[in-house]
Amino acid sequence: MLREFGEYLRTRPFALAGVIGVVAITLIAIFAPWVAPHDPLAQDLMASFKPPAWQADGTWKYPLGTDLLGRDILSRLIYGARYSLLISVGSVLLGTAIGFITGLLAGYFGRWTDTILMRLGDIQLAFPFVLFAIAILAVSQERTWWQLVLVLGGSSWIIYARVVRSRVLTEREKDYALAARALGASRWRVLFRYILPNVWQPIPLIGMLNLGFFVIVESLLSFLGLGLTPPTPSWGTILADGRQVMMVSGWVAVFPGVAILLTVLSISLAADGLADFFDPKLTHGNFRRVPLPPAERADQDPADGAPLLRVRDLTTIFPTRKGTIRALNGVSFDLEKGSVLGVVGESGSGKSTLGLSIIQLLDAPGRVAGGEIRFDGKDLARLSNRELTAIRGKRIGMIFQDPSSSLNPVLTVGYQLKETLRRHRSLPPHQAHEAARQALSAVGIADPDRVLRAYPFQLSGGMNQRVMIALAMVSEPELLILDEPTSALDVTTQAQLLDELDGLRQRHKMSMIFITHDIALISSFADDILVMYAGHVCEIGPRDQVIDQPRHPYTRALLDAVERVAVTETSRLAAIPGDPPDLTRLPPGCPFANRCPQVMPICHQVKPRRVAVGPNHEAACHLIDSPPSAPSQYGTTAVEAGRAAPASSVVANDNRSSRGNSSLVETAEDARGTNSISSTDRGRGESNEG
Amino acid sequence: MPLLEVKNLTKHFPIRRGILGREVGVVRAVDGVSFTLEEGETLGLVGESGCGKTTLVRSLLFLEPPTTGEVRFRGEPVTVADAQRFRRHVQIVFQDPYQSLPPRMTIGEIVADPLKIHKVGDQKTIETRVRQLLAEVGLDPARSGDYPFQFSGGQRQRVGIARALAIEPSLVLLDESVSALDVSVQAQVLNLLKDIQERRRLSYIFISHDLSVVRYMSDRIAVMYLGRIVEHGPAEDVVEKPLHPYTRALLSAVPSLRRRTATRARLRGEPPSPANPPSGCAFHTRCPLARPECAERRPELIEWLPGRQAACHFALEGTAENRRD
Repeated sequence: MLREFGEYLRTRPFALAGVIGVVAITLIAIFAPWVAPHDPLAQDLMASFKPPAWQADGTWKYPLGTDLLGRDILSRLIYGARYSLLISVGSVLLGTAIGFITGLLAGYFGRWTDTILMRLGDIQLAFPFVLFAIAILAVSQERTWWQLVLVLGGSSWIIYARVVRSRVLTEREKDYALAARALGASRWRVLFRYILPNVWQPIPLIGMLNLGFFVIVESLLSFLGLGLTPPTPSWGTILADGRQVMMVSGWVAVFPGVAILLTVLSISLAADGLADFFDPKLTHGNFRRVPLPPAERADQDPADGAPLLRVRDLTTIFPTRKGTIRALNGVSFDLEKGSVLGVVGESGSGKSTLGLSIIQLLDAPGRVAGGEIRFDGKDLARLSNRELTAIRGKRIGMIFQDPSSSLNPVLTVGYQLKETLRRHRSLPPHQAHEAARQALSAVGIADPDRVLRAYPFQLSGGMNQRVMIALAMVSEPELLILDEPTSALDVTTQAQLLDELDGLRQRHKMSMIFITHDIALISSFADDILVMYAGHVCEIGPRDQVIDQPRHPYTRALLDAVERVAVTETSRLAAIPGDPPDLTRLPPGCPFANRCPQVMPICHQVKPRRVAVGPNHEAACHLIDSPPSAPSQYGTTAVEAGRAAPASSVVANDNRSSRGNSSLVETAEDARGTNSISSTDRGRGESNEG
Repeated sequence: MPLLEVKNLTKHFPIRRGILGREVGVVRAVDGVSFTLEEGETLGLVGESGCGKTTLVRSLLFLEPPTTGEVRFRGEPVTVADAQRFRRHVQIVFQDPYQSLPPRMTIGEIVADPLKIHKVGDQKTIETRVRQLLAEVGLDPARSGDYPFQFSGGQRQRVGIARALAIEPSLVLLDESVSALDVSVQAQVLNLLKDIQERRRLSYIFISHDLSVVRYMSDRIAVMYLGRIVEHGPAEDVVEKPLHPYTRALLSAVPSLRRRTATRARLRGEPPSPANPPSGCAFHTRCPLARPECAERRPELIEWLPGRQAACHFALEGTAENRRD
C-alpha cells in the first residue's frame, strides 16, 4: 500500500509537493526545540524590530528578523507551527469524532434520534460562528489551545455527521446489513461491525481539507483578539502582533502569512492527491479516446458486397496497476445487414467489452489495441472522435442491462423521448408528442400516455427497458447492440421484450448484436451464435449448427447447463467446474484448458487455431483436426472458406505437440510452471465424440 | 409434526400521504398465505417481481414482522419477542452476491460472525468450524483471509451459503439465490445446495421467478400472484400439468433450446398494483381464459385433484389443450 502510494506520487508532482510540505511542517513542529535557533519567548530588547538578514541592518543571528520585544521571528514561527497544528489537528479530530458518532446514530436509528440530532446540526449551522467563539473565548482570561479546539471542533461536527448519516442510510438498506440482522446480530453489532467499516472512507479527506481551513480560522481568531493568550506563539498570534507594525516592520506579519499560505497549500495538494489515489475514477474521468493509427496495409474494402460489420482480430486491453487485463484477444466475425448475432459467454468472457469496443465507448483505462472494426466500410477504431459522434447513437445504438441507470431519473420519460426526437428529426413540439406516443406503442407499451408522464422510478424494469429501446430506435439505427438487455427482468417480461425486439428487427431490417450468458435465450432469436471465452472466440456459426452440432467443448458445456427443464429431481445439473482464467495472466495454450473435460497435453501449450467445421461454422479447439485447406474464413488471408470438415476426421491429434520448435518447447515449459498438469495425461489418446 | 406451519399470513404496508401521515390506503404485499413444510423438504415459491415472495420471506424471518397470521415452528408459535431464538433455526441466502456480503470483512470473518453472535465455542473451535464450512461449500479454506471482491459471483454465493449454514439451521430460505449468476454457474450452486440438503436433512424454501430452476430444486411448488398462492402441488405435476393459467404462462416464458420454433403463449402486460388489486380474480386482467364471472368472484385456493390446489374457477378446463409435449 505504502509502496503503491510512493509509485503513484512519482507520476503526480503536485501531490508529491503537497505531501513533502505536510511532512516537513509536521517534522518541524515536532522537533521545534532542536530546530529553532532561539527560545521563542526570549527577549532581546537591544534587537527590537531587527529586519531579516538579507536587508540592510539585518543580522544572521535573527534570519527572519525580530519583533517589538526582540524575539526571533523564525523561532517563534517554528514553535508557532506546534500550536497552529495542534489546534487544527485537535479541532479536526474533535469534529470528526462528534460528527461520526452522531452521523452513525442518526442514520442507523432514524426517527426521533435522527430528527433531534440533525435539527441540532441545523441550529449549529445557523448560529453565527463568531458569537459562539466569543461566548467561549472572550470570557476566559487565559485562552489555552484546547479552548480553541473546543470552539473549532465543536462547530464543525455537522459537516461530518451529514456525510456519515447519508452513507449509513444507503448501507443499512443493503442485503448484507439485512443478512446480519437475520443472523441474529444485535443492532449495535450490525452498526459497528458491518456498517461502520463501509462509511468512514470520505471522512479523512474532508478532515484534511478542513485542516487547512482551521489553520486560517485560527489566525482569524487571533486577529480578532480571541486567539491564544500572549506570549504563547501561534501563527495567528504572530500575525496579530505584526498587524500593528505593518507599515514600519512588514516582515513581522509577512512571514507568518507565508507560513500559513504554504501550509494550507500543501495540505490541499496532499488531500487532492490522496483523494485521487483512493478513487482512481477521478483521475481517469477526463480520459479521452485516442483512435488507432491508420493501418499499414491499406486494405480498402469496397463498401458494396461487404457485410455491414466486419470485425477482424479485435484486441482490447485494460492497463491497470495490477497488470494488463487482456479482455479481447483477436476477435473476428461478420455481421450481415438485417441479421442477429448472439454473443454468449460467462461473466468476464469479454462479451460486454466486445459491445463497448465496437461502439467505442470503453471505460478508461480500456482501449482497443489492435484489429479492425469495419462498419459500412469505415474502421470505427480509426475514426476521429468527431466522425464517431456521427455514427454512435445514430447509426449504431446500444442498450445496457440496467435501464434505470441509463435513463435520467429527474426527467419524465416523455421529456427525454421528445428531446431525442426533436434532435434527430427536428419536429415541432406537437408532432414530437405524437411521435413519442408512436415510438412507445412500437415497443409494445399499451398505455403510452401514462408512461410519457411518468418518471423512470415510477416504472418497472421491463417498462424502462422498453423506453430505452424506444429511445435507441428514434434514430433508426442500422445496428443495435444489446448487452444483457433482459437479464435483470422476470422471465415473463423477458419473453415479451424478445417478441418486441423480433418485431422491430423485421420491420426495420436492423442488425443486432445480442449479448447474453444464456444460450437458450437467444436460441430462438439469433441467426448466428458466437461463443466467447476469456476474450477468445471458441465457436461461431449459424444458430442451428451451433446448437445441434456444437464442436467446442465449452459450447457443449453451456448448452448442457441450460437444459434443466428435462432434468429430473434425481439427476444432477450439468455444471462447468472451475472458474475462467485470470485475464492478466492468460495461459499460453487454450484458455479453456483448465476446465475442459477433454483436455489434452497440447491444450496447455499451444493456442488452438480457428478452423472451419461446416458452412460458415468455425471452432477453435485441438480436438478438431483441420485439413490445411480449410482455415478460418475470417483470417487475414482470404482463402476459400466454408468447406465442411468431414465428421470422421475429427480425432484428437497429439502429434502436434511433437511438431514443436524451440519456442514451442519454451511455452510448454511455461505451461508446466503455471498450470496444474495433473489433468493433462487424462486427455492423452482420448478421442472425442464430436 | 411439520417443521414450519404458516397460517393465513398477511403483510400490509400502509400508504401515508400529507404532512400528518394520514393513512390513505394499504399495499397488500402478502395477503393470506398458508403452507406447511416438512423436515428435509423443499418448497418452491414462484412468481414475478412484486408478487410478494420477497416480503413473505422477510416476514417469515421477522425482519418485517407479519401484520396478521400465525407462524409455527416445530409446532410452537413464533412471536416477535422470540424471533431471535427462531433465527437460530432459520437462515437466508440472498439474491445479489455483490450486495449481500459486507465488502470490508474477510470471508473467514463473514462466516465466523454468526458463530460469534450465538457464542458457539471459543476462538479455536470457531476457526476450525470456518475451515470446515468453507470446504463444505467448495471453497479453499486457505483463502479465508481474502475479501469478497476477490471472488467471482458464484464463489461469493458459496460464501453466503456457508454463512447461512454456520449455526446449523434446520430451514434455509433461498431468496432468488441463483438468479444473478450465469446459467453455467447456477448449475454449480444448485447442485451444491442439493448435496448440502441431503447431508444435513435441511428444509429449503426456494424462491425464484424461473420455473425451470424451481422445478429442479423443489418437492412442492407454490405459485404466487399479487400476494396470494394461486397454485400449489407436487413439483412435477405443477410443471407438467399446470392447473392455473398463470402457471402455464410462466412456463411458456422460460427460454428453452428445444422450443425454439414453437410460438409461445405470451402473458400480456404487467402485474397490477397490490395497492389497487383488480376485483374478483386478481389475474383476470391478463388471463387468456377470463370470463365475466372472473371479475366478480374471487376464486378460493381449493383442491381440484388429489394433493393439487389451484385458485381458478376453471382450473381443469385449460389443462387438456395446454398440456406440454
